[in-house]
Amino acid sequence: MAENDVKYTLDIKDLEVQFKTVDGVVRAVNGIDLSIEKGKTLGLVGETGAGKTTTALSILRLVPDPPGEITGGTITLEGKDLFAFSEKEMETIRGSQVSMIFQDPMTSLNPVMTVGDQIAEVIQLHEKIDQKGALEKAKAMLEMVGIPGNRSTEYPHQFSGGMKQRVIIAMALVCNPHLLIADEPTTALDVTIQAQVLDLMQKLREKYGTSMLMITHDLGIVAEVCDDVSIMYAGRIVEHGTLEDIFESTSHPYTEGLFGSLPNIENRQEQLKPIPGLMPDPTDLPSGCTFHPRCKYCKDICKSRVPAVTRLSDTHLVACLAYEEGTGVTLGGDGNE
Amino acid sequence: MHKYVIKRLIMLIPVVIGVSFLVFFIMSLAPGDTARTILGEDAPIEAIEALNEELGLNDPVLIRYGRYMMGLAHGDLGTSYKSGRSVFTEVMSRFPDTLKLAFWGMVFAVVLSIPIGIISATKQYSLIDSVSMVFALLGVATPNFWLGLMLIIGFSLHLRWFPSGGSEGWKALVLPVITLGTGCMANITRTTRSSMLEVIRQDYIRTAKAKGVNSRNVIYKHALKNALIPVVTVIGLQFGSLLGGAVLTEAVFSWPGVGTFLVNSIKAKDTPAVLGCVIIFSICFSIVNLCVDILYAYIDPRIKSKYK
Amino acid sequence: MENKKAKKRSMAMEVCQRLAKNKMAMLGLAILIVLVLCAVFADVIADYETKVVAQNIANRLKGPSAEHWFGTDEFGRDIFARIIHGSRVSLVVGLISVSVSLIAGGCLGAFAGFYGGKIDNVIMRVMDIFLAVPSTLLAMTIVAALGSSLINVMLAIGISGIPNYARIVRAAVMSVKDQEFVESSRAIGASSMTTIFREIIPNCMAPIIVQVTLSVASAILSTASLSFIGLGVQPPDPEWGAMLSGGRNFLRDAVHLTLFPGLAIVITILALNLLGDGLRDALDPRLKQ
Repeated sequence: MAENDVKYTLDIKDLEVQFKTVDGVVRAVNGIDLSIEKGKTLGLVGETGAGKTTTALSILRLVPDPPGEITGGTITLEGKDLFAFSEKEMETIRGSQVSMIFQDPMTSLNPVMTVGDQIAEVIQLHEKIDQKGALEKAKAMLEMVGIPGNRSTEYPHQFSGGMKQRVIIAMALVCNPHLLIADEPTTALDVTIQAQVLDLMQKLREKYGTSMLMITHDLGIVAEVCDDVSIMYAGRIVEHGTLEDIFESTSHPYTEGLFGSLPNIENRQEQLKPIPGLMPDPTDLPSGCTFHPRCKYCKDICKSRVPAVTRLSDTHLVACLAYEEGTGVTLGGDGNE
Repeated sequence: MHKYVIKRLIMLIPVVIGVSFLVFFIMSLAPGDTARTILGEDAPIEAIEALNEELGLNDPVLIRYGRYMMGLAHGDLGTSYKSGRSVFTEVMSRFPDTLKLAFWGMVFAVVLSIPIGIISATKQYSLIDSVSMVFALLGVATPNFWLGLMLIIGFSLHLRWFPSGGSEGWKALVLPVITLGTGCMANITRTTRSSMLEVIRQDYIRTAKAKGVNSRNVIYKHALKNALIPVVTVIGLQFGSLLGGAVLTEAVFSWPGVGTFLVNSIKAKDTPAVLGCVIIFSICFSIVNLCVDILYAYIDPRIKSKYK
Repeated sequence: MENKKAKKRSMAMEVCQRLAKNKMAMLGLAILIVLVLCAVFADVIADYETKVVAQNIANRLKGPSAEHWFGTDEFGRDIFARIIHGSRVSLVVGLISVSVSLIAGGCLGAFAGFYGGKIDNVIMRVMDIFLAVPSTLLAMTIVAALGSSLINVMLAIGISGIPNYARIVRAAVMSVKDQEFVESSRAIGASSMTTIFREIIPNCMAPIIVQVTLSVASAILSTASLSFIGLGVQPPDPEWGAMLSGGRNFLRDAVHLTLFPGLAIVITILALNLLGDGLRDALDPRLKQ
């Protein structure tokens, strides 16, 4: 298959990741499917501990091993099977074809290297260029993310959080990757800085035609930057659809819960409806639908039967027994409890 | 950077004054009559009184200290009661031998410990890690003078590879250096390993991997420099125990250094000589710590910019 | 209040549980228990007068045998008995000298940390000067001035350990001083001394416990070192370092004179270090993964 025939930049099928710890096996990712069309942005939404970061690290094959292990599934990048590559080949892919922006800019840069050197390092790793050229290019990239080029000789501690995140963005995009993974890139930043950073990412992404996996728990960011959305709960995708599908015809009770936790500006009298309970212990996931202990529509069948994926439309998928025939589970109202 | 070094050098002065006062004060607590020690038990009272007056031992401690410090400023550490010669000359004539021992001991410790620590950390829980950690634990727990004795039994008396004493030639250096360096080596190995383990869990190491840096460069280019920061601190601190250890190592191998001189002086109640040795050792230790601090600033830009 | 106590107890339980899981630390603890039992029942195991100090020239320099497990020394004394009695000296020196450092250093550190400002500055500069003298040398100097005796050795080692505790306690006090519960106890009118002892000290126990374990080890090592060069415990009292010093003259023909006392030191220090490391991991679960 020629590269430009590939429709999807990223295609994940049935991915499973486990962590073997003293307290038992943590099933962090349990058979998820994800795909990102060229040039599009997919939002991966869920609470902390849902397995979003693990999914992202799997794409780079950087799940810490031990204790983590990818136990099943396939990841295809630009039509090529990532799991078929050797470690050496993976090194040439990381940073050049897939790059990642991490959550905490304060700790994501090496404190004893200048930012210029850190950006130049990526360039030198993946392009045939001498050190001087790489440094020049690094400076140009810094300018592009809004940092004066002459600051390239400074160390990370001399930059603010937002500036550091800009440096990381520069580092991630400098080799023009096919896919950019952004793991909660703005969570650690001030609200005003968040908007600037998001804006910058959007602009550069459009300029280079990069596809993006945006990991977040912030539905506001999703609405702003994503084309498609996957909702993740306890290592599974519970609902997937276009931005419109998810926002306009919310189908899964968990997604509904996520929206219920947001304040509604138009109707401030309305009470917030946070999802009761906590994420389940990943070493001991609930039987049946993993969301059932927190679901207000839960029926007996939900405790034993794992929901299959139901196709609501061409683009909209949901994994809930209420959409399967003959289960007797119904949504709506305030539930039965 | 120059300013920082100069500033630190100036800060050395109060430390030297403080240390010499501390040691002087402690030594002045010594009971017994120095003049009687020098002249012997049978000396007439008048002679003892006269000598006390001559040595200025009847003056209050602060005045004696002042006099001592005036001398110290000119490189005069007083006169040894025992040999009657200048303490400064006595110490300095032995100093190169002790320095040689301490230097090679430290080189031995650092050259072995850092690579072993790195390998242990990168191959955590492997056989090589377990073996080196067991040796490091034993190394920390073994008193160096006992290790010295065991080395003499093994390599000197039985195998006859190395001499059991003296300081002539490189062969004589081998056993003392191992004796002196092993404890430090064990400590630095443990610190390197734990520091490395801490560092390779950091976010910026993950960033480096995500950039496509190969695992070798992740360790040597990204992790090592960060991991060295606490290691350098420990090396500086270990130098203090190295100096203490040198006294014992010299005692085991009859090494003709400052340590042997110190022990003999203590036994002979030769106060000026003891004072001189301890002060010289402490100044050395302070200078090494100064070097460590400067090295620190060189490794860690966060510290460097603080002192600009 | 009740709640807080219960929480504290359960935290201690948790630490103990974590420690119990650490095999190396348990090994260290087991060795230490055996050692303490040896020290306590030393007189039952071997009589001091007849076996430890009484000379028996006819029996000198005998190798290990059923009668004398570790052989006899140059005066015909049983080395096993002397090592057992030597454990008393080591443990007593270890405990007393560390108590000296802990009490003096702890108070100084607490004052410095709690009051801050000038008091802090003066105390810590003095501590810096103490730290500028390598601790073995400081101990040697003190013994040289005061004379060689067990009490002076303990005092010397105790004093040379003061700055470490002052630093640890000061840092711990500074880190908890501004926390809410200390402020609240001051707000209800508790005097500053009561505040220090009641609230702050229990809260900086963790680093102190670890340091105590490790410095008992180094105190035992220092005692042996001082005795080895003739500045510590004087013969005929049994002390491991002094025994080594005596055995030096017989390296060629009677290795057991130096081998066994040395092993006793190594095993004791190893046990304390293993326990100390285990305690540190147990008290600071962040480090353990």
